[in-house]
Amino acid sequence: MSRKIKSTIRLLLGIMLMPLALTAQNLEAFEENVTEFTLDNGLHFIIVERPVAPVASFVTFVNVGGVDEPAGHTGIAHIFEHMVFKGSKTVGTTNWEEEQENIDLMDEAYRAWLEEKYQPEPDQEMMAQHWADFEKYQEKANSYVKTNEFDEIVSREGATGLNASTGYDFTNYFYSLPQNKAELWFNLEADRFKNPVFREFYEEKDVIMEERRMGVDSDPFGRLREEFGSIAFTAHPYGRSLIGWPSDIEATTIQDTEQFFRTYYTNDNFTFAIVGDVDPDEMRELAETYFGDIQSTHDAPTLKTQEPEQRGERRFTIEEESQPILFIGYHTVSQTHPDYAALQTLSAILSQGRTSRMYKTLVQDEELALAAQTAVGYPGTKYQNMFIAFGLPNQEVDIDDLEEAMYVEIEKVKEGDITQQELDRAITNARANLVRSLNSNMGLAVRLAQTQGQQGDWRRLFTRIGDLQNVTLDDLQRVANQYLVAQNRTVGKIINRSSEDVAEAQQEN
Amino acid sequence: MKKLNLLLILILFTSLFQLAEAQKSWDEIEYPPLNGFEKPDVEIFELDNGITFYLVEDVELPLINLRVLVRTGGVLVANEKTGLQSIAGTVMRSGGTTSISGDALNELLEDRAARMETGIGLTSGSASMNVLKDDFDDLLPVFIDLLQNPAFPEDRIDLAKTQQKSGITRRNDETIPIGIREFQKLIYGNESVYARNTEIETVDNITREDLVDFHARSFVGENMMIGVIGDFNAEEIKPILSDAFSAIPAGDPLELEFPEINYEYENTINFVDKRDVNQSFVMLGHIGGTRENPDYAKLQVMNRILSDGFSGRLMRIVRSQMGLAYSVFGQYGSNNFYPGMFYAGVMTQSETTAEAINAILDQIRRLQEEPVSEQELSDVIDRFLNSLVFEYDSRASVLNERMSYDYAGLDPDTFNQLVEEIQAVTIEDVQEVAQEYLRPDMLHILVVGNGEEIGDQLDQYGEVNEVDISIPMPGDDEEVVAGDAAGGSEWINRMASAVLPGGSIDGDFVFEATNIIYTPQGEMNLEIKQTANFETETMISEVQTPMALVTMKIEDGQGTMTMGGNEMPMPPAQRDQVMAEFYRSHVYLSINKDNLDVEYLGMQEMDNETYAHIRVNDEITLNLYLDPETALPMITTYRQFDPQSGGNVTVKMVSSDWREADGVMVPYETSVYSDDSMVSLTTITTHSVE
Repeated sequence: MSRKIKSTIRLLLGIMLMPLALTAQNLEAFEENVTEFTLDNGLHFIIVERPVAPVASFVTFVNVGGVDEPAGHTGIAHIFEHMVFKGSKTVGTTNWEEEQENIDLMDEAYRAWLEEKYQPEPDQEMMAQHWADFEKYQEKANSYVKTNEFDEIVSREGATGLNASTGYDFTNYFYSLPQNKAELWFNLEADRFKNPVFREFYEEKDVIMEERRMGVDSDPFGRLREEFGSIAFTAHPYGRSLIGWPSDIEATTIQDTEQFFRTYYTNDNFTFAIVGDVDPDEMRELAETYFGDIQSTHDAPTLKTQEPEQRGERRFTIEEESQPILFIGYHTVSQTHPDYAALQTLSAILSQGRTSRMYKTLVQDEELALAAQTAVGYPGTKYQNMFIAFGLPNQEVDIDDLEEAMYVEIEKVKEGDITQQELDRAITNARANLVRSLNSNMGLAVRLAQTQGQQGDWRRLFTRIGDLQNVTLDDLQRVANQYLVAQNRTVGKIINRSSEDVAEAQQEN
Repeated sequence: MKKLNLLLILILFTSLFQLAEAQKSWDEIEYPPLNGFEKPDVEIFELDNGITFYLVEDVELPLINLRVLVRTGGVLVANEKTGLQSIAGTVMRSGGTTSISGDALNELLEDRAARMETGIGLTSGSASMNVLKDDFDDLLPVFIDLLQNPAFPEDRIDLAKTQQKSGITRRNDETIPIGIREFQKLIYGNESVYARNTEIETVDNITREDLVDFHARSFVGENMMIGVIGDFNAEEIKPILSDAFSAIPAGDPLELEFPEINYEYENTINFVDKRDVNQSFVMLGHIGGTRENPDYAKLQVMNRILSDGFSGRLMRIVRSQMGLAYSVFGQYGSNNFYPGMFYAGVMTQSETTAEAINAILDQIRRLQEEPVSEQELSDVIDRFLNSLVFEYDSRASVLNERMSYDYAGLDPDTFNQLVEEIQAVTIEDVQEVAQEYLRPDMLHILVVGNGEEIGDQLDQYGEVNEVDISIPMPGDDEEVVAGDAAGGSEWINRMASAVLPGGSIDGDFVFEATNIIYTPQGEMNLEIKQTANFETETMISEVQTPMALVTMKIEDGQGTMTMGGNEMPMPPAQRDQVMAEFYRSHVYLSINKDNLDVEYLGMQEMDNETYAHIRVNDEITLNLYLDPETALPMITTYRQFDPQSGGNVTVKMVSSDWREADGVMVPYETSVYSDDSMVSLTTITTHSVE
């Protein structure tokens, strides 16, 4: 057996593999199961038939995110996302009219309290009065609330995976249902975007503050990333806090949030994807019935701020209790730019898999790093984003040595030390990853809706493989030399406080 | 014109009216019946060498997924080698085989976007192969080779150990891993196989032979169940699989023994102080149960009333209504092989830690004290029944369920039985199991959070046990030689008389000095003024660095640092370091000579001089080398952990130019070496007692 194995392996190692031409076939085959339609009011639907099991996944993608937030209200996109789960005029309440009256009065009291708080000399008595009013109306409003009724309704009918996510340049809402319950999704989804009610708003802001504490304040990597964003970006909102700065979260009222919703949740910003055991004709009928009467008064505003060119390297260091973390980023291009494919491929060659440059050298052979990863599309993909490199030094390794070692690997690429085999490998893996991703209803629905919503054509999910195939070794070298330069980079570090002190504490009496 | 308009209006009105008609209220929707579903067949057959195969066809994508489930696990590993199974699992893959090196294997696989992975956990091990269908025939022999002939080369073993150790040094950086780890220890015991830590020492104890043995015992036919799913025809692939896998020896089946847990219910409140967070992570609970418990279905219903996505009481009340948390959870866990845990937890800001704990305790008690409502019960059952389709929403899920039931010794029909039982659960059942299995009066509570912000909130739960999570660094490798206690006592007394010729001192001991510190980055010059009181154990150090004046103060065991007008608490690690120096000072030792455990180890030559060597046995062992005539401590050595080098170093202090003032003999020149490399030079300018 051993000899047979050895000779087989020798044979396999000698083969230069031709990349398999899967993608074109995949797209054609896949397209056969796709139905698309746009309602008269502009709402766009993508339906994919995939009858593996009698279930279906439903995604509502909205082309809005952290970058669209008005000044002074970072976190508002995410706050609204939470509100979407609170029901509507009919779901989640015993009496909407009464409830809304009190909600309005409550918000008015809060706004008055907030204004007073930020006066040069706040009147404490007035503040206390406003707060008392706030609590009074909050209690009254809450007396009409049926907490979490939306969730209860869908879960009772068998929904799973109910959730949503907010990014810098997207927001999506999703869950899966048994296929015969599709009408419930259409019914409730149209309802909650037509008739949102901002109930339990201030309780939910407390929840969001806990989310912030969990993911940012009390987590080393979260702290580093929030700091990094605000230093790496000067003008573009990719640099803002996505969860929101605490003072902004406090200052955001129902009035603000509703304003944000009305401005950005317009028909041109919605894309829906439904994947599973569904009949496209039935889906269309339901879409017409429940979504047909939604009218928008305008198209949503678009972001026009462009990040100016960085003039010089930016660096910062945070000393804290945690073990060291290194985070480097270079400004690059958006996902629709011709260089994006080369940058993605470059990242794969540098850090994807055990054969990648950084894994093999930094993690495996030199044992400098516990982890060394690169990525593009940070922190979003729609606008000019960053190529990042992230590293965790091993136990006794100086973080500066790891940083230098990462640059050594980047330099090699700049000097043309990359092979066709590595390039082919990256493309083969990108293709295979796409194939592997096709067996999940929810995964497909999310990706299709986002691709359509951001780039105008869901087929880009497949055709982008073609872009990768066109990348040459020269392209890789060129983009490395063009974008991965010191003056274009931001370097952030966490270092461990007491390791510094060891050097200084050798003072004896 | 008017007629046309009227007509248009009528049409518009009608269609809108129709639309409004068609738009029902959500509770008026009539659902069609669910589409039929045929659960895919699992084809099962066994080879002579004990391997059992499970096949499920899935032609949707051109892939084949093969997974070997191995009866083995960390439960077989002794405490002193904790982590062995994990490293074996890692190096089995990273080290390649006797025919192909790790690097060559990586290239072979990644060129074809193929994946092969191995891993071993507490109760099972696995090896998997995920390839494009066209590569299956070529790569199957490679996979078999990987299963049978892993090379376990030293360099990859070393790499795996380095990574484990780096992971260990990072394990206190986030509250959740700390909380889960420490909570499990409270339930199962620190040394229990279900909760023990992998430590640097246990990793160092693992040898190549250990890994080779462990693999050889585990990866044999009698221990293997293999699941295969993908684009193949079951009848066609059977002979290929039989042929390839027959090469694996049958071996001896491993019996996994799961130690009994002798759990004693008790009430404890435990705290891990982590100052760099503003949110507490709380876990509370006690021992749970096993899957075979006949009350399992009733317990599942109870669990879902407590916590089930957004639907449970904890989410509804603690999160949505009280706004105390983003994350709150709880369940009575029933494991397959050993008892699980009943646990509930929450992450809430420091200030509301107790409030959140009490809110959770209320909900646990409520399950016992109040019957659940009919609506809640029917909702749970509806949720369960209506989402049944998702149990088998992929062909792989059918395969996975069958294999995991077989591995655990459960009937293949187990899930169907569960469905039946859940439908039969009553309101009384829920209250009964809550009363029988939950003990809200006998809980371990663990909080990981910021002690300064939390204050005394936890006192209401009892005497707070402070948990020390400092990571044990490698045990000292110094040989311990027995010494002469009487001689030690004699010499320490002589030393004390030499250092304090007038006997003990009254007041503050003050000195000023310049200090040069030698670092790889260059020299740093400091000026120090220090005031110490050995009676009250207080100390103030004013250090003038090139950048700023830093004042460090120790009082009542607390430390503060002030710089540029900003005062902040001294991190515990640094405070400990400063105090350790305090206790090492010759003056301190001399004053406290009667309380020290000192041994005389004889006359010893060092640096071409002869000294009386005494050893002070304390938290850190000190070796003092006294001048035989004057009894002054000329050299002091001790071992210390240096985070920068990751190991223990020997620190040596050489004291010279002794001068007396105010009844104290002080060396006016002190050089300090770390492993024979000079790190600092202190030159005293004046000293006094005030």
